[in-house]
Amino acid sequence: MTITKQKVKETIYQPLEKGEPVICLQDVAVAYQANVAIFDINLDVYPGECLGIVGPNASGKTTLLKTILGALKPIQGSVQIFGDKFSPKTSHMIRSKISYIPQLQAIDRNFPALVEDVVAMGRYSKAGLFRPLNSEDWEKIYEALEAVGMKKLAKRPIGHLSGGQQQKVMIARALANEPEILLLDEPTTALDFKMVRSVVDLVKKLHEERELTIVIVSHDIKLLREYCTRIAAMDKKIVWKGDPHDPDLDIIIEEIFLR
Amino acid sequence: MTDFLHFFNALRKYAFLQRALVSAVVVGIICSLIGVFILLRRMVFLGQGIAHSAFAGAALGLLLGIDPLLTILLFSVFSAISIGYVEEKKLVESEVMIGVIFSFFMALAILFIGMMEVYSTDVISILFGNILIITQERLILFLIFSAMILLLLFMIKKELFFMTFDIELAEVSGVPVRFLTYLFLVMVSVTISVSLRAIGAILVFAMIITPAAAAYQWTYHLNRMMILSVFFGVFSAVFGLYLSYTFDLPSGSTIVSAVTAIFVISFLFSPKRMASKRTIQECPYCKDYLLEGEECQRPECIAAGILHRHIDHEISIDKKHLPKKKPTKHDH
Ligand SMILES: Nc1ncnc2c1ncn2[C@@H]1O[C@H](COP(=O)(O)OP(=O)(O)OP(=O)(O)O)[C@@H](O)[C@H]1O
Ligand SMILES: [Mg+2]
Repeated sequence: MTITKQKVKETIYQPLEKGEPVICLQDVAVAYQANVAIFDINLDVYPGECLGIVGPNASGKTTLLKTILGALKPIQGSVQIFGDKFSPKTSHMIRSKISYIPQLQAIDRNFPALVEDVVAMGRYSKAGLFRPLNSEDWEKIYEALEAVGMKKLAKRPIGHLSGGQQQKVMIARALANEPEILLLDEPTTALDFKMVRSVVDLVKKLHEERELTIVIVSHDIKLLREYCTRIAAMDKKIVWKGDPHDPDLDIIIEEIFLR
Repeated sequence: MTDFLHFFNALRKYAFLQRALVSAVVVGIICSLIGVFILLRRMVFLGQGIAHSAFAGAALGLLLGIDPLLTILLFSVFSAISIGYVEEKKLVESEVMIGVIFSFFMALAILFIGMMEVYSTDVISILFGNILIITQERLILFLIFSAMILLLLFMIKKELFFMTFDIELAEVSGVPVRFLTYLFLVMVSVTISVSLRAIGAILVFAMIITPAAAAYQWTYHLNRMMILSVFFGVFSAVFGLYLSYTFDLPSGSTIVSAVTAIFVISFLFSPKRMASKRTIQECPYCKDYLLEGEECQRPECIAAGILHRHIDHEISIDKKHLPKKKPTKHDH
């Protein structure tokens, strides 16, 4: 009995060979009803990489992240995460290893959740369905709060925080999951200069210390250049990929933003 | 006071009243707990739609002469799942859909009632509810259903909570959103179906939403909100039963009146409404987080030792708290 279980596990959790991409998109196109949002997407993300995706509004950055998460199904092409395609069998395993920090959105001021409750949501997939969180989970939750410097606010209602503080809580939520891949959607919009610095430093630290694979979306190219190991510029499709300090990037940026 | 004593004496004597009390307590518990999640997920109209289709089910059961509970369950579960499906596929806006379904089931109910050859008082009791006429077998069935709903609710509580916070984020974090949404819809329809006898199709929804809405006014903790909601629900169900028995009033309306009174009081004295203008700010000097207007106590702060506040990145010190200093000595 146990042997067969082990076998099934092994076939699902096939270990990746070194140097293989953790995220692999081939010829992907995604549409909302009849409206194609992104197409011709070929993208490989390697372990330990920090990939920045830059593009103007409505260029499909959020759509791309949601496709990586399996929340949107491509109408064409294939998406493989850790070498697996999304299916009812694999999606839970894939998603429990990816953390997503969505684009900032308003949280109801009166929502009955404390900061720690929101961060706790990051542990749900580790705890599993039908099971309550245990003390180890709560340790991780407080570690994550510590990492973003929000421990002092743990017992405050989430709706009472400022937008930037909420953003940090969402980062803590993502960290509590102990992900292998971190996807960030415009983590620095709505933050003041000081907050941007602290979020950027945090992401940098995570990337260096925990060897996280990070995909970060932004339209702030200066910021991305500062700490990404690679940059992809997109406008419905990926128009350029390469080194952050390549002078070609300036020309591309000018082109896609001023079109 | 004598009324109360009278009620307690009757409670000892009459089995029908004991059954009514048990069902009032259980209705209070399951409706108000389910209500917490309906409120947080903003599915209020959906519940109303289910209640009305349940009534159509009751009318059909009475028309065919079979146990109405069967048809009630059938109709409400069917309507809940179809509403869930339409919402999932985004076929039409869910409010439009619920409006359409709701009116259609009302029309069906009226049709079934019109087709009845003999006028049945059961129709009235299902429409308006009568907690005093619940039979032994009904009560046992009711308890079994309620226990199942409670057990399920506590098993999926944390996932439901995540879904109310942000359903898309829940999905991409590995929560089986689709399965849980349908499961929850079925739980809502079963709750409504089994509560129908006690409070009636028209008012059952008040019993679901009002205790939760009252509890929402008091706390930022999900668990406390659930406990408060149950407390409000059970209290008003029992108090409503007392009023109904003592003054010979319809139980549905006395229960709902009681819970509405609790809601009004909660709304008026809500600490949330009072606090809703406050924000939290980081002190630029001592890095502490303070509610606007709160006083800073930290010794590292540059204004340490003086009672002060941080407002909008500025230190504000009240004149009377400034320590008095003697004028420095000097020579002419
Ligand atoms: N839920 C949706 N339904 C229909 N169309 C959508 C939806 N979400 C996005 N779109 C469309 O898809 C395109 C890409 O949107 P997307 O949100 O991915 O852009 P973005 O690059 O993230 O923009 P921003 O910088 O403003 O966040 C846009 O034209 C948008 O109108
Ligand atoms: Mg976006």
